[in-house]
Amino acid sequence: MYKLSPPEEGTTFSVIRVTDNVAIPFDPANTDYQEYLEWIAAGNTPEAAE
Amino acid sequence: MSSIAVNAITDANGGSTTSINSVTPNTSNLVGKNKIINGNMMIDQRNAGASVTPGEGIYTLDRWEAKQTTASKFSVQQSTSSPPVGFTNYARCTSLSAFSVGSSDQFGLRQIIEGLNHSDLNWGTSDAKTITISFWVRSSLTGTFGCALYNYAGNRSYPFTYAISSANTWEKKTVTVAGDTSGTWPATSTAGIVLFFSLGSGSGVSGTAGAWSGSFLASVTGATSVVATSGATFDFTGVQLEAGSVATEFEHTQYTTQLQLCQRYYFRTGATAGYATLAMGYLNTNTVCNIVFQFPVAMRASPSGSFTGCRIRYQGGNGTISATTGVSANTTSCEFKLNTSSIPTGYPVALQTNGNASNHVAFSAEL
Repeated sequence: MYKLSPPEEGTTFSVIRVTDNVAIPFDPANTDYQEYLEWIAAGNTPEAAE
Repeated sequence: MSSIAVNAITDANGGSTTSINSVTPNTSNLVGKNKIINGNMMIDQRNAGASVTPGEGIYTLDRWEAKQTTASKFSVQQSTSSPPVGFTNYARCTSLSAFSVGSSDQFGLRQIIEGLNHSDLNWGTSDAKTITISFWVRSSLTGTFGCALYNYAGNRSYPFTYAISSANTWEKKTVTVAGDTSGTWPATSTAGIVLFFSLGSGSGVSGTAGAWSGSFLASVTGATSVVATSGATFDFTGVQLEAGSVATEFEHTQYTTQLQLCQRYYFRTGATAGYATLAMGYLNTNTVCNIVFQFPVAMRASPSGSFTGCRIRYQGGNGTISATTGVSANTTSCEFKLNTSSIPTGYPVALQTNGNASNHVAFSAEL
């Protein structure tokens, strides 16, 4: 489960992995971000930012 | 002042090379020859020597990742009791049950080598270099044990064996492997060569020793399963993977150098039972702090960040942290965004430990 971070100046730069409260930057080289993209590709949707 | 200017130094017996203090300089005994980081198991940022029962894909000692298809079958601990001569630490794996591995099961520890660090081996080309792997191992079991080299894509594998002939006795093992001329072995900042120490692997992921395969193999058919014996121990250290067909002396680097090599992939702030300031920041709103970190070394990628049990310090009081809301990061710094209790605006803030040695902030850019 993931939750999007609040946007900064109109752009979202990271997502929170809710299970362990880890902040994941949108960097294609980050393996946590790669897992997030796989989760999205599997048809899941992150929670909206607060 | 004198100087020597020659084109070559050869030995007096007609050989093509000479030796200096009994060491013949060559390409495989240069500084940085070992492709394995933390091969002597000295760095354990996450657990500081505590025993852990890792989950699948969870890192234990720095750079050593646990692989398991069923949870809680082995524990891992950085240990110091009776290491082999020349070493102070080793990784101890202890079987927590008598588990019979299934066909596709795999248990063990692996290190993923970043492609940038083995690009000189030219694997995947006709110029692929031979490598030699050496390590010290000790087990309460004896027999033939399994290891494997494979690429991260899992479509090139080289399983190999080593024998432990005497229980509870350190033995040094050496294996030479002809470099793979096929397959894809990235020479970038992504995952490259993987070295896997099997603690038990099923028949479906085990194969013939000493040959390259075009499929994923984690071990050798018939190898000893550590997880099959409750309480069995498996210790290893001094792991080195180097170019060439000779196992040279383990490369003992300075502690700080080894720590910095690990921090490219994982960085955890130091522990204190007091109230140490970890980083400074500012208030975005009166309930959102932006904390700025400069990493001690450039990390492999923009890292993921997390905190455990910290507080916000401001002039005249303390704030509590309720959640992480985001991170803006690159490989050398980041701004960590935290939801906090209401804090008066107009002052800088500090992220502090909160009186507990387990309080920390961690950043991960693991492969």
